[in-house]
Amino acid sequence: MKKLPIALALCAAFVSANTLAEVRINGFASIVGGKTLDDDNATLYGYDDDISFKNESMFALQLSADLQEKLSATAQIVARGSDDFDAEFEWAYLTYEFTDELQVSAGKMRVPFYRYSDFLDVGYTYRWVRPPQSVYNLPFSTYEGLSLLHNTQLGDWDSTVQVIYGSFDDKIAVVSVNGDTELNDIAGINWTLSYDWFSARAAYFVAETSIAIENDTDAGIALNGLEQTLRNAGFVDQADDIAVNEDDGSFLALGFSIDYNDILFDAEYTEFEVDNSALAKQTQYYSSVGYRMDEWTVHLTYENNDDKHDSSRYNALPAVPALNAGINQVLESGKAKSNVYTIGTRYDFHPSAALKVDFSRFKDDITDTDTDVVAVAVDLVF
Amino acid sequence: MKKLLLATAVALLSSTAFADVAVIVNPANGNAIDEGTIKKIYLGKAKSFDDGTKVNPVNQDGNSVSDEFNDKVVGKSSSQLNAYWSKLVFTGKGTPPEKLANDQAVIDFVSTNGDAIGYIDASKVTDKVKVVATF
Repeated sequence: MKKLPIALALCAAFVSANTLAEVRINGFASIVGGKTLDDDNATLYGYDDDISFKNESMFALQLSADLQEKLSATAQIVARGSDDFDAEFEWAYLTYEFTDELQVSAGKMRVPFYRYSDFLDVGYTYRWVRPPQSVYNLPFSTYEGLSLLHNTQLGDWDSTVQVIYGSFDDKIAVVSVNGDTELNDIAGINWTLSYDWFSARAAYFVAETSIAIENDTDAGIALNGLEQTLRNAGFVDQADDIAVNEDDGSFLALGFSIDYNDILFDAEYTEFEVDNSALAKQTQYYSSVGYRMDEWTVHLTYENNDDKHDSSRYNALPAVPALNAGINQVLESGKAKSNVYTIGTRYDFHPSAALKVDFSRFKDDITDTDTDVVAVAVDLVF
Repeated sequence: MKKLLLATAVALLSSTAFADVAVIVNPANGNAIDEGTIKKIYLGKAKSFDDGTKVNPVNQDGNSVSDEFNDKVVGKSSSQLNAYWSKLVFTGKGTPPEKLANDQAVIDFVSTNGDAIGYIDASKVTDKVKVVATF
Protein backbone atom coordinates (compact mmCIF):
# COMPACT_ATOMS: atom_id res chain seq x y z
CA MET A 1 0.00 0.00 0.00
CA LYS A 2 2.99 2.22 0.62
CA LYS A 3 3.64 2.32 -3.09
CA LEU A 4 0.37 3.93 -4.09
CA PRO A 5 1.35 7.53 -3.26
CA ILE A 6 4.30 7.08 -5.61
CA ALA A 7 1.84 6.12 -8.31
CA LEU A 8 -0.13 9.27 -7.74
CA ALA A 9 3.01 11.36 -7.67
CA LEU A 10 4.12 9.79 -10.92
CA CYS A 11 0.77 10.53 -12.54
CA ALA A 12 0.96 14.09 -11.32
CA ALA A 13 4.47 14.32 -12.71
CA PHE A 14 3.27 13.07 -16.08
CA VAL A 15 0.60 15.70 -16.18
CA SER A 16 2.53 18.68 -14.85
CA ALA A 17 5.90 18.04 -16.52
CA ASN A 18 4.39 18.47 -19.92
CA THR A 19 0.88 19.76 -20.20
CA LEU A 20 0.85 18.59 -23.82
CA ALA A 21 1.48 14.98 -22.82
CA GLU A 22 -1.71 13.04 -23.24
CA VAL A 23 -2.21 10.56 -20.41
CA ARG A 24 -4.19 7.53 -21.46
CA ILE A 25 -5.94 5.49 -18.81
CA ASN A 26 -6.83 1.90 -19.57
CA GLY A 27 -7.78 -0.84 -17.21
CA PHE A 28 -8.79 -4.42 -16.82
CA ALA A 29 -10.43 -6.48 -14.14
CA SER A 30 -11.39 -10.04 -13.34
CA ILE A 31 -13.98 -11.07 -10.81
CA VAL A 32 -13.58 -14.77 -10.18
CA GLY A 33 -15.52 -17.03 -7.86
CA GLY A 34 -14.46 -20.63 -7.33
CA LYS A 35 -14.20 -23.62 -5.01
CA THR A 36 -12.95 -27.17 -4.90
CA LEU A 37 -15.58 -29.87 -5.20
CA ASP A 38 -14.02 -32.18 -2.63
CA ASP A 39 -14.80 -32.45 1.07
CA ASP A 40 -11.21 -33.13 2.08
CA ASN A 41 -8.67 -30.42 2.84
CA ALA A 42 -7.21 -30.38 -0.65
CA THR A 43 -6.53 -26.96 -2.14
CA LEU A 44 -5.99 -26.07 -5.77
CA TYR A 45 -5.24 -22.72 -7.41
CA GLY A 46 -5.74 -21.18 -3.97
CA TYR A 47 -9.27 -22.56 -3.51
CA ASP A 48 -10.60 -24.87 -0.84
CA ASP A 49 -14.13 -26.20 -0.43
CA ASP A 50 -15.50 -22.82 0.67
CA ILE A 51 -16.39 -20.58 -2.25
CA SER A 52 -14.03 -17.63 -2.62
CA PHE A 53 -14.56 -14.52 -4.73
CA LYS A 54 -11.29 -13.02 -3.59
CA ASN A 55 -8.62 -15.55 -4.45
CA GLU A 56 -8.27 -14.91 -8.19
CA SER A 57 -10.06 -11.57 -8.51
CA MET A 58 -8.06 -8.53 -9.49
CA PHE A 59 -8.34 -4.98 -10.69
CA ALA A 60 -5.74 -2.98 -12.64
CA LEU A 61 -5.23 0.49 -14.03
CA GLN A 62 -2.69 1.44 -16.65
CA LEU A 63 -1.47 4.97 -17.18
CA SER A 64 0.56 5.79 -20.23
CA ALA A 65 1.84 9.06 -21.52
CA ASP A 66 3.69 10.08 -24.67
CA LEU A 67 6.23 12.41 -23.08
CA GLN A 68 7.56 13.69 -26.38
CA GLU A 69 8.09 12.21 -29.75
CA LYS A 70 9.25 8.57 -29.52
CA LEU A 71 9.39 8.53 -25.70
CA SER A 72 6.58 7.15 -23.57
CA ALA A 73 6.05 6.18 -19.94
CA THR A 74 3.75 3.41 -18.78
CA ALA A 75 2.74 2.26 -15.32
CA GLN A 76 0.39 -0.56 -14.38
CA ILE A 77 -1.05 -0.68 -10.89
CA VAL A 78 -2.57 -4.00 -9.93
CA ALA A 79 -4.68 -4.90 -6.90
CA ARG A 80 -5.09 -8.62 -6.32
CA GLY A 81 -7.67 -10.25 -4.10
CA SER A 82 -5.06 -12.80 -3.01
CA ASP A 83 -3.07 -9.81 -1.72
CA ASP A 84 -6.06 -8.19 0.05
CA PHE A 85 -6.39 -5.85 -2.94
CA ASP A 86 -3.26 -3.96 -1.94
CA ALA A 87 -2.34 -1.92 -4.99
CA GLU A 88 1.13 -2.57 -6.35
CA PHE A 89 3.13 -1.52 -9.36
CA GLU A 90 3.60 -4.56 -11.57
CA TRP A 91 4.88 -2.65 -14.56
CA ALA A 92 6.56 0.77 -14.61
CA TYR A 93 8.75 1.55 -17.57
CA LEU A 94 9.90 4.03 -20.15
CA THR A 95 9.93 3.16 -23.84
CA TYR A 96 11.95 4.80 -26.56
CA GLU A 97 11.07 4.05 -30.18
CA PHE A 98 14.15 4.18 -32.39
CA THR A 99 12.17 3.28 -35.51
CA ASP A 100 8.83 1.67 -36.34
CA GLU A 101 10.61 -1.68 -35.97
CA LEU A 102 12.87 -1.17 -32.95
CA GLN A 103 12.08 -0.03 -29.41
CA VAL A 104 13.83 -0.24 -26.08
CA SER A 105 12.12 -0.25 -22.68
CA ALA A 106 13.65 0.23 -19.25
CA GLY A 107 12.07 -0.32 -15.85
CA LYS A 108 9.96 -2.96 -14.21
CA MET A 109 8.42 -5.35 -16.71
CA ARG A 110 7.13 -8.88 -17.22
CA VAL A 111 9.63 -11.65 -18.02
CA PRO A 112 8.31 -13.07 -21.32
CA PHE A 113 8.51 -16.70 -20.14
CA TYR A 114 5.30 -17.85 -21.80
CA ARG A 115 3.17 -17.06 -24.80
CA TYR A 116 0.61 -15.35 -22.56
CA SER A 117 3.12 -13.84 -20.09
CA ASP A 118 2.79 -10.28 -21.24
CA PHE A 119 -0.96 -10.25 -20.69
CA LEU A 120 -1.17 -12.95 -18.01
CA ASP A 121 -3.41 -10.77 -15.86
CA VAL A 122 -5.66 -9.63 -18.70
CA GLY A 123 -8.09 -12.53 -18.60
CA TYR A 124 -10.12 -10.93 -21.38
CA THR A 125 -7.36 -11.82 -23.89
CA TYR A 126 -7.58 -15.61 -23.49
CA ARG A 127 -10.23 -18.29 -23.27
CA TRP A 128 -9.50 -19.89 -19.88
CA VAL A 129 -10.26 -18.50 -16.43
CA ARG A 130 -6.48 -18.90 -15.87
CA PRO A 131 -3.74 -20.04 -18.27
CA PRO A 132 -2.73 -23.71 -17.75
CA GLN A 133 -1.03 -23.65 -14.34
CA SER A 134 1.14 -26.74 -14.87
CA VAL A 135 3.08 -24.61 -17.34
CA TYR A 136 2.35 -21.10 -16.00
CA ASN A 137 3.86 -22.02 -12.64
CA LEU A 138 6.99 -19.98 -12.00
CA PRO A 139 6.57 -18.17 -8.67
CA PHE A 140 7.63 -14.80 -10.05
CA SER A 141 6.79 -12.95 -13.23
CA THR A 142 8.46 -9.55 -13.28
CA TYR A 143 11.99 -8.21 -13.45
CA GLU A 144 13.75 -4.87 -13.41
CA GLY A 145 15.95 -4.10 -16.36
CA LEU A 146 15.95 -3.60 -20.10
CA SER A 147 13.99 -5.01 -23.00
CA LEU A 148 14.81 -4.59 -26.65
CA LEU A 149 11.97 -5.34 -29.03
CA HIS A 150 12.36 -5.78 -32.78
CA ASN A 151 9.41 -6.28 -35.15
CA THR A 152 9.87 -7.11 -38.81
CA GLN A 153 7.92 -8.60 -41.65
CA LEU A 154 9.47 -11.50 -43.50
CA GLY A 155 7.20 -11.76 -46.53
CA ASP A 156 3.78 -12.62 -45.11
CA TRP A 157 5.24 -13.51 -41.72
CA ASP A 158 5.56 -11.20 -38.72
CA SER A 159 8.67 -11.70 -36.65
CA THR A 160 9.06 -10.35 -33.12
CA VAL A 161 12.36 -10.74 -31.32
CA GLN A 162 12.70 -9.58 -27.73
CA VAL A 163 15.97 -9.59 -25.83
CA ILE A 164 15.93 -8.88 -22.08
CA TYR A 165 18.50 -8.25 -19.39
CA GLY A 166 17.93 -7.49 -15.71
CA SER A 167 17.42 -8.80 -12.22
CA PHE A 168 14.79 -9.81 -9.69
CA ASP A 169 14.90 -9.39 -5.93
CA ASP A 170 11.93 -10.30 -3.72
CA LYS A 171 10.47 -13.01 -1.47
CA ILE A 172 8.97 -16.02 -3.19
CA ALA A 173 7.51 -19.36 -2.12
CA VAL A 174 9.87 -22.16 -3.14
CA VAL A 175 10.19 -25.03 -0.63
CA SER A 176 9.69 -22.47 2.17
CA VAL A 177 7.00 -19.78 2.15
CA ASN A 178 9.00 -16.58 2.35
CA GLY A 179 12.41 -17.13 0.81
CA ASP A 180 14.52 -14.10 -0.04
CA THR A 181 15.24 -14.59 -3.70
CA GLU A 182 17.80 -12.93 -5.89
CA LEU A 183 18.06 -13.55 -9.59
CA ASN A 184 21.04 -11.79 -11.10
CA ASP A 185 22.03 -11.41 -14.73
CA ILE A 186 18.67 -12.54 -16.04
CA ALA A 187 19.27 -12.67 -19.78
CA GLY A 188 17.25 -14.17 -22.54
CA ILE A 189 15.60 -14.09 -25.89
CA ASN A 190 12.02 -14.62 -26.98
CA TRP A 191 11.21 -15.05 -30.67
CA THR A 192 7.72 -15.20 -32.13
CA LEU A 193 6.92 -15.86 -35.77
CA SER A 194 3.35 -15.51 -36.90
CA TYR A 195 1.41 -15.82 -40.11
CA ASP A 196 -2.23 -14.74 -40.05
CA TRP A 197 -3.73 -17.84 -38.31
CA PHE A 198 -0.51 -19.51 -37.14
CA SER A 199 2.06 -18.47 -34.58
CA ALA A 200 5.13 -20.20 -33.16
CA ARG A 201 7.47 -19.08 -30.41
CA ALA A 202 10.66 -20.08 -28.67
CA ALA A 203 12.17 -18.53 -25.56
CA TYR A 204 15.30 -19.18 -23.55
CA PHE A 205 16.43 -17.47 -20.33
CA VAL A 206 19.27 -17.89 -17.90
CA ALA A 207 19.81 -16.33 -14.46
CA GLU A 208 22.17 -16.70 -11.53
CA THR A 209 19.72 -17.97 -8.94
CA SER A 210 19.81 -17.67 -5.14
CA ILE A 211 16.86 -18.60 -2.96
CA ALA A 212 17.13 -18.54 0.83
CA ILE A 213 15.14 -21.46 2.24
CA GLU A 214 13.45 -20.43 5.50
CA ASN A 215 12.50 -22.78 8.32
CA ASP A 216 8.81 -21.99 7.84
CA THR A 217 7.76 -25.35 6.37
CA ASP A 218 8.61 -28.98 7.21
CA ALA A 219 10.40 -29.30 3.88
CA GLY A 220 12.37 -26.12 4.58
CA ILE A 221 13.43 -27.36 8.04
CA ALA A 222 14.47 -30.79 6.67
CA LEU A 223 16.43 -29.23 3.83
CA ASN A 224 18.24 -26.68 6.00
CA GLY A 225 18.98 -29.36 8.61
CA LEU A 226 20.60 -31.61 6.04
CA GLU A 227 22.59 -28.78 4.45
CA GLN A 228 23.93 -27.68 7.85
CA THR A 229 24.83 -31.24 8.85
CA LEU A 230 26.70 -31.77 5.58
CA ARG A 231 28.52 -28.46 5.96
CA ASN A 232 29.49 -29.16 9.61
CA ALA A 233 30.78 -32.59 8.60
CA GLY A 234 33.00 -30.98 5.97
CA PHE A 235 31.02 -32.16 2.93
CA VAL A 236 30.95 -28.68 1.40
CA ASP A 237 30.28 -29.78 -2.21
CA GLN A 238 27.30 -31.90 -1.17
CA ALA A 239 25.98 -29.04 0.99
CA ASP A 240 26.36 -26.63 -1.96
CA ASP A 241 24.40 -29.05 -4.13
CA ILE A 242 21.47 -28.74 -1.72
CA ALA A 243 21.53 -24.98 -1.21
CA VAL A 244 20.13 -22.71 -3.90
CA ASN A 245 22.97 -20.25 -3.86
CA GLU A 246 24.37 -18.53 -6.96
CA ASP A 247 23.39 -21.52 -9.09
CA ASP A 248 22.80 -21.45 -12.83
CA GLY A 249 19.10 -21.37 -13.61
CA SER A 250 17.79 -21.95 -17.11
CA PHE A 251 14.36 -21.84 -18.69
CA LEU A 252 13.27 -23.05 -22.12
CA ALA A 253 9.85 -22.62 -23.71
CA LEU A 254 8.51 -23.77 -27.06
CA GLY A 255 4.99 -23.25 -28.25
CA PHE A 256 2.63 -22.68 -31.10
CA SER A 257 -0.93 -21.59 -31.59
CA ILE A 258 -3.54 -21.77 -34.31
CA ASP A 259 -6.68 -19.70 -34.82
CA TYR A 260 -8.14 -21.01 -38.08
CA ASN A 261 -11.80 -20.89 -39.14
CA ASP A 262 -12.86 -20.57 -35.50
CA ILE A 263 -10.83 -23.62 -34.51
CA LEU A 264 -8.30 -22.77 -31.81
CA PHE A 265 -5.29 -24.83 -30.84
CA ASP A 266 -2.48 -23.99 -28.40
CA ALA A 267 0.44 -26.00 -27.11
CA GLU A 268 3.40 -24.99 -24.95
CA TYR A 269 6.31 -26.99 -23.58
CA THR A 270 8.64 -25.67 -20.86
CA GLU A 271 11.72 -26.84 -18.98
CA PHE A 272 13.11 -25.19 -15.87
CA GLU A 273 16.24 -26.16 -14.01
CA VAL A 274 18.54 -24.74 -11.32
CA ASP A 275 21.82 -26.66 -11.53
CA ASN A 276 23.44 -28.04 -8.37
CA SER A 277 20.51 -27.30 -6.10
CA ALA A 278 17.76 -29.14 -4.26
CA LEU A 279 15.27 -27.88 -6.87
CA ALA A 280 14.20 -30.67 -9.20
CA LYS A 281 14.23 -30.21 -12.95
CA GLN A 282 10.72 -29.32 -14.09
CA THR A 283 9.25 -30.44 -17.40
CA GLN A 284 5.73 -29.51 -18.33
CA TYR A 285 3.40 -28.99 -21.27
CA TYR A 286 -0.21 -28.42 -22.19
CA SER A 287 -2.24 -28.67 -25.32
CA SER A 288 -5.61 -27.08 -25.71
CA VAL A 289 -8.32 -27.10 -28.37
CA GLY A 290 -11.16 -24.64 -28.64
CA TYR A 291 -14.01 -23.89 -30.97
CA ARG A 292 -15.58 -20.46 -31.43
CA MET A 293 -19.24 -20.04 -32.35
CA ASP A 294 -19.81 -16.29 -32.62
CA GLU A 295 -19.99 -15.10 -29.00
CA TRP A 296 -19.36 -18.57 -27.53
CA THR A 297 -16.10 -20.47 -27.22
CA VAL A 298 -15.77 -23.98 -25.81
CA HIS A 299 -12.41 -25.50 -24.94
CA LEU A 300 -10.66 -28.58 -23.61
CA THR A 301 -7.13 -28.55 -22.19
CA TYR A 302 -4.72 -31.26 -21.04
CA GLU A 303 -1.70 -30.35 -18.89
CA ASN A 304 1.16 -32.49 -17.66
CA ASN A 305 3.90 -31.78 -15.13
CA ASP A 306 6.91 -33.91 -14.26
CA ASP A 307 9.54 -32.73 -11.74
CA LYS A 308 12.51 -34.90 -10.91
CA HIS A 309 16.25 -34.94 -10.37
CA ASP A 310 18.64 -36.66 -12.76
CA SER A 311 19.46 -40.15 -11.49
CA SER A 312 23.14 -39.06 -11.46
CA ARG A 313 22.30 -36.79 -8.51
CA TYR A 314 21.44 -39.72 -6.26
CA ASN A 315 23.94 -41.54 -4.00
CA ALA A 316 26.20 -38.49 -3.81
CA LEU A 317 27.84 -39.61 -0.54
CA PRO A 318 28.08 -43.43 -0.50
CA ALA A 319 30.85 -43.29 2.14
CA VAL A 320 28.40 -42.02 4.78
CA PRO A 321 25.20 -44.08 4.43
CA ALA A 322 23.09 -41.97 6.81
CA LEU A 323 23.86 -38.67 5.03
CA ASN A 324 23.62 -40.38 1.65
CA ALA A 325 20.11 -41.51 2.52
CA GLY A 326 19.30 -37.98 3.70
CA ILE A 327 20.42 -36.50 0.36
CA ASN A 328 18.44 -39.12 -1.57
CA GLN A 329 15.39 -38.32 0.52
CA VAL A 330 15.62 -34.58 -0.22
CA LEU A 331 16.06 -35.29 -3.95
CA GLU A 332 13.13 -37.70 -3.85
CA SER A 333 10.90 -35.18 -2.07
CA GLY A 334 11.40 -32.79 -5.00
CA LYS A 335 9.59 -35.22 -7.25
CA ALA A 336 6.19 -34.27 -8.59
CA LYS A 337 4.04 -35.77 -11.27
CA SER A 338 0.60 -34.55 -12.13
CA ASN A 339 -1.87 -33.86 -14.89
CA VAL A 340 -4.91 -31.65 -15.29
CA TYR A 341 -7.94 -31.77 -17.55
CA THR A 342 -9.89 -28.54 -17.96
CA ILE A 343 -13.13 -28.08 -19.81
CA GLY A 344 -14.64 -24.65 -20.09
CA THR A 345 -16.59 -22.06 -21.97
CA ARG A 346 -16.33 -18.36 -22.66
CA TYR A 347 -19.27 -16.15 -23.56
CA ASP A 348 -18.59 -12.68 -24.97
CA PHE A 349 -21.76 -11.11 -23.64
CA HIS A 350 -20.48 -7.55 -24.15
CA PRO A 351 -17.89 -6.01 -26.52
CA SER A 352 -15.58 -5.41 -23.51
CA ALA A 353 -16.51 -8.22 -21.16
CA ALA A 354 -16.55 -12.00 -21.14
CA LEU A 355 -18.12 -14.57 -18.85
CA LYS A 356 -16.19 -17.80 -18.34
CA VAL A 357 -16.76 -21.09 -16.57
CA ASP A 358 -13.92 -23.61 -16.18
CA PHE A 359 -13.95 -27.01 -14.56
CA SER A 360 -10.51 -28.52 -13.81
CA ARG A 361 -9.58 -31.96 -12.52
CA PHE A 362 -6.06 -32.12 -11.09
CA LYS A 363 -4.56 -35.57 -10.61
CA ASP A 364 -1.48 -36.09 -8.46
CA ASP A 365 0.15 -39.22 -9.88
CA ILE A 366 2.37 -39.72 -6.81
CA THR A 367 -0.35 -39.70 -4.15
CA ASP A 368 -2.94 -40.90 -6.69
CA THR A 369 -5.48 -38.28 -5.61
CA ASP A 370 -7.84 -36.08 -7.61
CA THR A 371 -8.87 -32.51 -6.85
CA ASP A 372 -11.65 -30.77 -8.76
CA VAL A 373 -12.06 -27.01 -9.03
CA VAL A 374 -14.83 -25.04 -10.63
CA ALA A 375 -14.51 -21.30 -11.25
CA VAL A 376 -16.73 -18.64 -12.80
CA ALA A 377 -15.14 -15.42 -14.03
CA VAL A 378 -16.14 -12.10 -15.52
CA ASP A 379 -13.18 -10.51 -17.31
CA LEU A 380 -13.33 -6.98 -18.62
CA VAL A 381 -11.17 -4.35 -20.26
CA PHE A 382 -11.84 -0.64 -20.28
CA MET B 1 -48.27 -9.43 -53.15
CA LYS B 2 -47.31 -10.16 -49.58
CA LYS B 3 -44.29 -12.10 -50.77
CA LEU B 4 -43.19 -9.28 -53.00
CA LEU B 5 -43.43 -6.82 -50.12
CA LEU B 6 -41.40 -9.14 -47.94
CA ALA B 7 -38.77 -9.56 -50.65
CA THR B 8 -38.54 -5.78 -51.05
CA ALA B 9 -38.27 -5.34 -47.31
CA VAL B 10 -35.49 -7.92 -47.11
CA ALA B 11 -33.70 -6.28 -50.04
CA LEU B 12 -33.96 -2.86 -48.38
CA LEU B 13 -32.76 -4.19 -45.05
CA SER B 14 -29.82 -6.03 -46.52
CA SER B 15 -28.78 -3.05 -48.60
CA THR B 16 -28.57 -0.92 -45.45
CA ALA B 17 -26.85 -3.65 -43.49
CA PHE B 18 -24.31 -4.30 -46.22
CA ALA B 19 -23.61 -0.77 -47.46
CA ASP B 20 -20.17 -0.44 -48.99
CA VAL B 21 -17.38 0.99 -46.89
CA ALA B 22 -14.98 3.48 -48.45
CA VAL B 23 -11.47 3.86 -47.06
CA ILE B 24 -10.43 7.48 -47.30
CA VAL B 25 -7.28 9.58 -46.97
CA ASN B 26 -6.44 13.25 -47.31
CA PRO B 27 -6.55 14.40 -50.98
CA ALA B 28 -2.88 15.42 -50.65
CA ASN B 29 -1.85 11.85 -49.75
CA GLY B 30 -0.23 10.28 -52.83
CA ASN B 31 0.71 6.90 -51.34
CA ALA B 32 -0.51 3.68 -52.94
CA ILE B 33 -2.55 1.83 -50.30
CA ASP B 34 -3.91 -1.67 -50.95
CA GLU B 35 -6.17 -3.91 -48.85
CA GLY B 36 -3.22 -5.66 -47.16
CA THR B 37 -1.74 -2.32 -46.07
CA ILE B 38 -5.10 -1.11 -44.74
CA LYS B 39 -5.47 -4.29 -42.66
CA LYS B 40 -1.92 -3.90 -41.31
CA ILE B 41 -2.55 -0.25 -40.41
CA TYR B 42 -5.72 -1.16 -38.51
CA LEU B 43 -3.92 -3.99 -36.66
CA GLY B 44 -1.05 -1.65 -35.70
CA LYS B 45 1.43 -3.67 -37.79
CA ALA B 46 2.11 -0.90 -40.30
CA LYS B 47 2.86 2.44 -38.66
CA SER B 48 3.95 4.53 -41.64
CA PHE B 49 2.89 5.19 -45.23
CA ASP B 50 5.26 4.22 -48.07
CA ASP B 51 6.74 7.74 -48.10
CA GLY B 52 7.68 7.40 -44.40
CA THR B 53 4.94 9.62 -42.94
CA LYS B 54 3.57 8.25 -39.65
CA VAL B 55 0.04 7.06 -40.30
CA ASN B 56 -2.75 8.45 -38.14
CA PRO B 57 -5.72 6.04 -38.44
CA VAL B 58 -9.19 6.64 -37.02
CA ASN B 59 -11.96 4.17 -36.28
CA GLN B 60 -15.67 4.68 -35.85
CA ASP B 61 -17.20 3.98 -32.49
CA GLY B 62 -19.09 0.68 -32.49
CA ASN B 63 -21.59 1.56 -35.24
CA SER B 64 -22.67 -0.39 -38.32
CA VAL B 65 -19.89 1.14 -40.46
CA SER B 66 -17.19 -0.04 -38.07
CA ASP B 67 -18.77 -3.51 -37.80
CA GLU B 68 -18.79 -3.68 -41.58
CA PHE B 69 -15.17 -2.54 -41.85
CA ASN B 70 -13.93 -4.91 -39.13
CA ASP B 71 -15.73 -7.83 -40.73
CA LYS B 72 -14.77 -7.14 -44.38
CA VAL B 73 -11.28 -5.70 -44.08
CA VAL B 74 -9.78 -6.63 -40.71
CA GLY B 75 -11.55 -10.01 -40.53
CA LYS B 76 -12.25 -9.94 -36.78
CA SER B 77 -15.34 -9.47 -34.64
CA SER B 78 -15.43 -6.51 -32.26
CA SER B 79 -14.70 -8.82 -29.28
CA GLN B 80 -11.75 -10.40 -31.07
CA LEU B 81 -10.40 -6.96 -32.00
CA ASN B 82 -10.83 -5.77 -28.44
CA ALA B 83 -8.85 -8.78 -27.19
CA TYR B 84 -6.21 -8.22 -29.89
CA TRP B 85 -5.69 -4.57 -28.91
CA SER B 86 -5.75 -5.36 -25.19
CA LYS B 87 -2.69 -7.55 -25.75
CA LEU B 88 -0.83 -4.62 -27.31
CA VAL B 89 -2.13 -1.86 -25.02
CA PHE B 90 -1.31 -3.63 -21.74
CA THR B 91 2.20 -4.49 -22.88
CA GLY B 92 3.06 -1.04 -24.22
CA LYS B 93 3.32 -2.36 -27.77
CA GLY B 94 0.59 -0.33 -29.38
CA THR B 95 -2.37 2.01 -29.10
CA PRO B 96 -5.59 1.37 -31.02
CA PRO B 97 -6.78 3.97 -33.53
CA GLU B 98 -8.84 6.74 -31.98
CA LYS B 99 -12.60 6.28 -32.30
CA LEU B 100 -14.70 9.02 -33.88
CA ALA B 101 -18.47 9.21 -33.61
CA ASN B 102 -19.67 9.05 -37.22
CA ASP B 103 -18.95 9.43 -40.95
CA GLN B 104 -18.96 13.25 -40.78
CA ALA B 105 -16.42 13.32 -37.94
CA VAL B 106 -14.13 11.01 -39.95
CA ILE B 107 -14.47 13.18 -43.08
CA ASP B 108 -13.64 16.31 -41.04
CA PHE B 109 -10.62 14.60 -39.45
CA VAL B 110 -9.24 13.15 -42.68
CA SER B 111 -9.75 16.34 -44.68
CA THR B 112 -7.77 18.39 -42.14
CA ASN B 113 -4.97 15.88 -41.37
CA GLY B 114 -2.50 14.97 -44.13
CA ASP B 115 -1.41 11.78 -42.33
CA ALA B 116 -4.93 10.49 -41.61
CA ILE B 117 -6.76 7.43 -42.86
CA GLY B 118 -10.35 6.51 -42.06
CA TYR B 119 -13.39 4.73 -43.39
CA ILE B 120 -16.97 5.83 -44.00
CA ASP B 121 -20.20 4.67 -45.60
CA ALA B 122 -19.35 4.82 -49.33
CA SER B 123 -22.49 6.84 -50.07
CA LYS B 124 -21.24 9.68 -47.81
CA VAL B 125 -18.00 10.35 -49.70
CA THR B 126 -17.37 14.04 -50.50
CA ASP B 127 -14.69 15.76 -52.58
CA LYS B 128 -12.88 16.81 -49.37
CA VAL B 129 -11.38 13.31 -49.11
CA LYS B 130 -9.80 10.76 -51.45
CA VAL B 131 -11.10 7.19 -51.68
CA VAL B 132 -8.30 4.61 -51.81
CA ALA B 133 -10.41 1.46 -51.65
CA THR B 134 -14.04 0.37 -51.40
CA PHE B 135 -15.19 -2.87 -49.76
